[in-house]
Amino acid sequence: MTEASGKTVVVVSGLPRSGTSLMMQMLQAGGMPLLCDGRRASDEDNPQGYFEYEKVKTLKKDASWLAEAVGKAVKIITTHLYDLPAGYDYKVIFMERDLREILLSQKKMLRRRGETDEGPSDEVMSGHFMNHVKRLKEWLFEQPHMEVMFCSYRELVEDPSPLCNQIAAFIGQPLDIPAMLGAVDEKLYRNRM
Amino acid sequence: MFKKKIALDPELYAKLSKLSEAQGCASVEEFALHILEDAVKGLGDDASEEEVKKRLRGLGYLE
Repeated sequence: MTEASGKTVVVVSGLPRSGTSLMMQMLQAGGMPLLCDGRRASDEDNPQGYFEYEKVKTLKKDASWLAEAVGKAVKIITTHLYDLPAGYDYKVIFMERDLREILLSQKKMLRRRGETDEGPSDEVMSGHFMNHVKRLKEWLFEQPHMEVMFCSYRELVEDPSPLCNQIAAFIGQPLDIPAMLGAVDEKLYRNRM
Repeated sequence: MFKKKIALDPELYAKLSKLSEAQGCASVEEFALHILEDAVKGLGDDASEEEVKKRLRGLGYLE
């Protein structure tokens, strides 16, 4: 067991379109400070915004900005988790969603972004994502400075109250639960299977 | 079971033989199979991970 750093960063992670933006929105509503820059504006795919921080993309090269994330929540997509440096304690809220829904939503987003190459079939891509998440989970469980809470997107939308309480307990700070619940808009659960 | 054979350079075979002994393998064949299986698995993982990165790049999450 390693000693706590005293510098805790809440990380919201998962595959793109797994509900990471919703989680960020709920944390913000609950009173959790966020580290995001608003550079990626809201659009049809994420009408409430992306809650991203551009510097996350270059985390491997420069992690100095993480000092700004202490006591806050920051959205870090799965592939970048491996680049999080030691010296901090990370509480990772890992969003999980039916892969078929993720793929459907991603394909719509790719088209809107004008991406002509949709890549492999859904069946093949699903296998790639399953391998990717399986490897990442194995790695996460071995990291002494990372605690992980898995959060189902479906449960979060359909019955958010118990999860909100669990999230507050996991983060270890009081959150405004009614405000978090108010941030959930079931109408935005559009690619449902 | 039908098995395929591959021809090895004698020098490479000698190296494999020494290493297989050192690793406590019952035969050079067992040792070589073990190495090949690991290598193929690793290559598959890399290709799979590359497809994930390509998708995330397309979605604007990777540079």
